[in-house]
Amino acid sequence: MRSRFAALASLVLLMVSGSALAITPDEMLANPKLEARARSIDKELRCLVCQNENIDDSNADLARDLRLLVRKRVMAGDSDEQVKQYIVARYGNYVLLKPPFDAETYLLWLGPGILLLGAAGAATLYYRRAMRAPNKAPLSEDEIRRLAALIADSDTGNKGT
Amino acid sequence: MIAEVGLFALILALFVAAFQSTVPLVGAARGDAAWMNLDRPAAFAQFALITISFGSLMWLHVTSDFSVMNVVQNSHTDKPLLYKISGVWGNHEGSMMLWTFILVLYGLAVSVFGRDLPPGLRARALAVQGMIGFGFILFILMTSNPFTRVDPAPLNGQGLNPLLQDPGLAFHPPFLYLGYVGFSMAFSFAIAALIEGRVDAAWARWVRPWTLVAWCALTLGVAMGSWWSYYTLGWGGYWAWDPVENASFMPWLAGTALLHSSIVAEKRDTMKAWTIFLAIVTFSLSLLGTFLVRSGILTSVHSFANDPARGRFILALLGIVIGGSLILYAIRALALKGGGLFSPISRESGLLFNNVFLSAAAGTVFLGTLYPLFMDALGLGKVSVGPPYFNMVMLPLMVPLILLMAVGPLLSWKRGDLPEALSRLKFALIATLLAIAATLIFAGLSSHSVWAALGIGLAAWLFFGALSEWAGRIGLFQRSFSDSLHRALHLPRSAYGMTISHMGMAIVLLGVAGSLAWRAEYLEVMHPGESAMVAGYRIAFIGAQENVAGPNYTAERGTFIVTRDGQFVAELQPERRVYANPPEPKSTVAIHTNFVSDIYVVLGDPGANNGHVVHIFHNPLIPWLFFGALMMVLGGIVSLTDRHHRIGAPLRRLGARFRPPAIAVAAASPLAVEHRPKAARRWVYLLPLAGFAVLAGFFIWRLHLADQGITPSLIPSVMIDKPAPDFDLPPLLASDTGFKTADLKGKVTVVNFFASWCVPCREEHGYLSLVMQAGLPLVGINYKDRPEDAKAWLAELGNPFKTIAVDAHGRTGIDFGVYGVPETYLIDKQGVIRQKWTGPLTPDVIRDELIPQAEKLK
Repeated sequence: MRSRFAALASLVLLMVSGSALAITPDEMLANPKLEARARSIDKELRCLVCQNENIDDSNADLARDLRLLVRKRVMAGDSDEQVKQYIVARYGNYVLLKPPFDAETYLLWLGPGILLLGAAGAATLYYRRAMRAPNKAPLSEDEIRRLAALIADSDTGNKGT
Repeated sequence: MIAEVGLFALILALFVAAFQSTVPLVGAARGDAAWMNLDRPAAFAQFALITISFGSLMWLHVTSDFSVMNVVQNSHTDKPLLYKISGVWGNHEGSMMLWTFILVLYGLAVSVFGRDLPPGLRARALAVQGMIGFGFILFILMTSNPFTRVDPAPLNGQGLNPLLQDPGLAFHPPFLYLGYVGFSMAFSFAIAALIEGRVDAAWARWVRPWTLVAWCALTLGVAMGSWWSYYTLGWGGYWAWDPVENASFMPWLAGTALLHSSIVAEKRDTMKAWTIFLAIVTFSLSLLGTFLVRSGILTSVHSFANDPARGRFILALLGIVIGGSLILYAIRALALKGGGLFSPISRESGLLFNNVFLSAAAGTVFLGTLYPLFMDALGLGKVSVGPPYFNMVMLPLMVPLILLMAVGPLLSWKRGDLPEALSRLKFALIATLLAIAATLIFAGLSSHSVWAALGIGLAAWLFFGALSEWAGRIGLFQRSFSDSLHRALHLPRSAYGMTISHMGMAIVLLGVAGSLAWRAEYLEVMHPGESAMVAGYRIAFIGAQENVAGPNYTAERGTFIVTRDGQFVAELQPERRVYANPPEPKSTVAIHTNFVSDIYVVLGDPGANNGHVVHIFHNPLIPWLFFGALMMVLGGIVSLTDRHHRIGAPLRRLGARFRPPAIAVAAASPLAVEHRPKAARRWVYLLPLAGFAVLAGFFIWRLHLADQGITPSLIPSVMIDKPAPDFDLPPLLASDTGFKTADLKGKVTVVNFFASWCVPCREEHGYLSLVMQAGLPLVGINYKDRPEDAKAWLAELGNPFKTIAVDAHGRTGIDFGVYGVPETYLIDKQGVIRQKWTGPLTPDVIRDELIPQAEKLK
């Protein structure tokens, strides 16, 4: 029992270690335009060893290697898409924080639209049905009083017969 | 002694919860008032016992009683008092105690304020609260006992993660839980109403303020979490669409929908089945968040230590609570129809549209968060769904919602007048166009500024739309000033609440738009005396002072002077702290705010000549994001003070006395002939249940895998069945010749990436000789290592490799798709990769997988 408890650390903020932002100036390209492109590519690539970070925010060693690789490809004249494909060829679509639109992700990309249409459809159906149903709103005070009077009337009437 | 008292009180509370969840329920079913009336004493007792238990745990933490495991693992004597207290809920066990404490607090509120509720409704609702409490107390006792003793007691504790030693995070969990658990009120009353088969205005009048309480707390909790992330993590952002963040955002979206639909349920006695459904969904999403954070099903930056055993327990709990309530819903929902009629253009319709968009948004966050899990379960491979996806899909859902937010309140109940409402928005439209034009003129025409202008225009539309609605209500500029003032003073507070909250939302929107469009960033090595220009500010680095002592840390403190046009603006002192217990680093950001924009300075690693990596952000309008969130909460609080909403406001006596007999009859027999639903319609109400069953299936599957040690972070290789990449690596040892791609041809080869700094490699190393013994050539690739370290390592542990090549920079590793050493590849005679193992090989894997597969390739 004890060893199990020992194994359960407290709230762990994995990989978000205390050090500052992960990308460092020595990695950056001299050309600010290319560097800006590289930064934007970094933000779309997932750090593989971290829990859920892009390689720009991660201070893992592999993230740094990938940032350097991104810059190498950018310098070599690759387009943004080519750089991403270069990494995808090695690690799969898993590295893309924005998954591509393909057979595996149709539901992911079409899902929000389906959900919206579904919700709107449900609302329309609900509305139609609700408006067709008889009005079951509670009686007004006046109606209650009249109803009570009627019931009282019929009660006395029954007694009479 | 205190620990045993706490544990004993908790065990007693379990029994009281069992009592509370059965006796009043049976009483209500039989119409036995004596049994029903036991609900309030039970809730009182429950509260007293959990208070004793939670108080004991707090006492143990405050007095640093290191004979208790929970204190040892999460506390230390040198921690400031605030963090000794917040450390109670900074861990799994303690946070579950806080969860339960807040649950019984709400139970107490029902018994205190709910005296005037119909006894049957109250008894059933408290019974449901008792069941939830029972489940959670049982969970704590069986899997997460915080009172476990440790013997011998250590002299001191292990301390708390420095990132959690922060005022923002000290108060974030209590508010978050007040929100999550607060939705249990709406939930319990929804279940009670389903059992009774009746939802009347009294029900909605009770549920609405409590939903508002929960919504305010959750909004504040989420905003606090976001603020904490902004000012402590040093990344300059505030929302990362991380699964754990999404887990709090989903109940917020659903809760916001519930808040709005309960208005219709109360005022117009319609949309009842829908409101009940939202109440179930909102609380279910809160529970789901609790489950996701603790089960290890998803990978997240911030989560509790994962344990599949706990995951299974919470999943079972989820199954009972959510599954049970959805079954009840499917059976009873049709009995809840009816109510006031309204035209397609009316306040009701506006709120219905609000619900459509908010539900679709909650569903979208849900889909994006869990999609990787679904893909994985169906064997379709691994995907990541990150911020770029969410930003892209949420935008088209949010924009129409916000456009509508200005229009809806202008429509009257039952039948609204759209042209009239739109004509009242003339002023807002002009303000919107002016805001867009001003933004474009001020910021120049670029793709950034167009987006910013649209965002700011949207915010202006909402802000001035809300303002116009208020102006219309008081007849500003149409009546005499004194008349308007009189009306303004007598406007219901709930109306003010709405106006303030909607305006708060507009301000949040401004913050989002501004920070997305105009964030400026500077990242450079700075030496003392150098300065940086960021967004018109000159930020001079004066220097860094080492060994600054804090209460339980030492820091390196940088000093920066911010000036603008030669005028002094601020002195900023970001720090790099190293905490004593546990010895972990933490960077402390320094922020100067002028309430419109922030200058945000992060001190990074030191370099040569007293240089430091310095990261500076200029974050325009971010402070408004947090002000806006606070304003939303303020609106909620103002609304809560409305006489009409006052918690526990007695039901209108008259209405209670004159309960219409016709309704009572229908309620007592919900399946009476006149209400009998057509069988064909019933399946619609089974859909949520079916959806949940599928979801639970996915969770069970994932937990099962986790049991076998397959964590979600394991990524299958895409290199399998592809030719090995081109490489030509030098040898590690002088006696070798190096290794290149061509050397793989003609024989089946095993390639192993290893490094002396890799701990699991040491574990694996002893078994690697089994590969060569089986007659398979084993090639070692020394990954990102220093040759002398690698050689010393081999000298110590032996050399099981046929040859060893050096991949000093890890480039070949990346080409192979290596993400964590050790990794082992099986390559066939043609040089094609046929299999890959991530993590240390074991004798079993070598004997049962690697060797047989290699034999087949021969």
